[in-house]
Amino acid sequence: MKWATRPGVHVDRAACAWLIRRFVDHDAEFVFPADLAAIPPDATPFDVRGAALGHHLGRCSFETALASFGLTDDPALEEIGHIIHEADLADERYDAPAAAGLDILIRGLTLTSRSDHDTLKITDRLFDGLYEHTRRQLITGRPPA
Amino acid sequence: MSQTDDWVLLAYRLPRVPSTPRSAVWRKLKRLGVAQLGDGLVALPADARTREQLEWVAEDVTDHGGEATLWLGRPLDANARSAVVSRMTAAVAAEYEAVAAEAAAARTADPGARHRVAARLRRELHRIQGRDFFRCPQFDAARRAVETLAATNPAGIPA
Repeated sequence: MKWATRPGVHVDRAACAWLIRRFVDHDAEFVFPADLAAIPPDATPFDVRGAALGHHLGRCSFETALASFGLTDDPALEEIGHIIHEADLADERYDAPAAAGLDILIRGLTLTSRSDHDTLKITDRLFDGLYEHTRRQLITGRPPA
Repeated sequence: MSQTDDWVLLAYRLPRVPSTPRSAVWRKLKRLGVAQLGDGLVALPADARTREQLEWVAEDVTDHGGEATLWLGRPLDANARSAVVSRMTAAVAAEYEAVAAEAAAARTADPGARHRVAARLRRELHRIQGRDFFRCPQFDAARRAVETLAATNPAGIPA
């Protein structure tokens, strides 16, 4: 399937792309049209204004996507949702100290990446690691060493 | 601030009742540090981040049955521009000064309290910095005051 979002991906879009590729559509193809009107008709938009997979009722796009894809029963994903929410919105709804660092890392990555595909290659790995870390922490009740 | 002095503007209208979404939107805008240009018209110096921030507030407004449009604009009146910038800077400066004053006042507290206050004020400084678009000079003094508090030894003297 084809998925579309704005170029210059930052934390919320990168996290959505990871979620889509890992849990929803392993062969996902991402496009990044600068003009929203240029979103291909066969693509599902995410993290753009007016899209179902966007910010709604105080939630960031990643949180909306979790609900929309029926992934709300995975506590590790819920926890990551809190981190993405704080990295993206910083409204202190959740206690997510990892958010500040993640925000800076992905902003820096966007500055140095050759393309959005290039950024996603790295953020996919980053979120795989964050997911594993969060999952283990939830199992043992302690941050993994 | 962007090189071209572009500003992103949000024009919005929300029903007066219920008032909860109205105040939630206003709190969000305050946190972003917007300049209020008129009734239902706010602006921020344009960059990728501020555009996105206001886009999502716009989405919030429409989610609650209001209307919102985003614009990119440039001030044509230099005096009006500097008045807006002064207002924004003064608001941020007052916040920095309050942090500095609180840090100074906590210097004689017990070590545990000093540590807690310093940690909270560091976070507060980060929050204020997020809406400090014009590098307000009061930041330096506020940061010094907080770091001095963090380094103060039990006798109340900076280490």
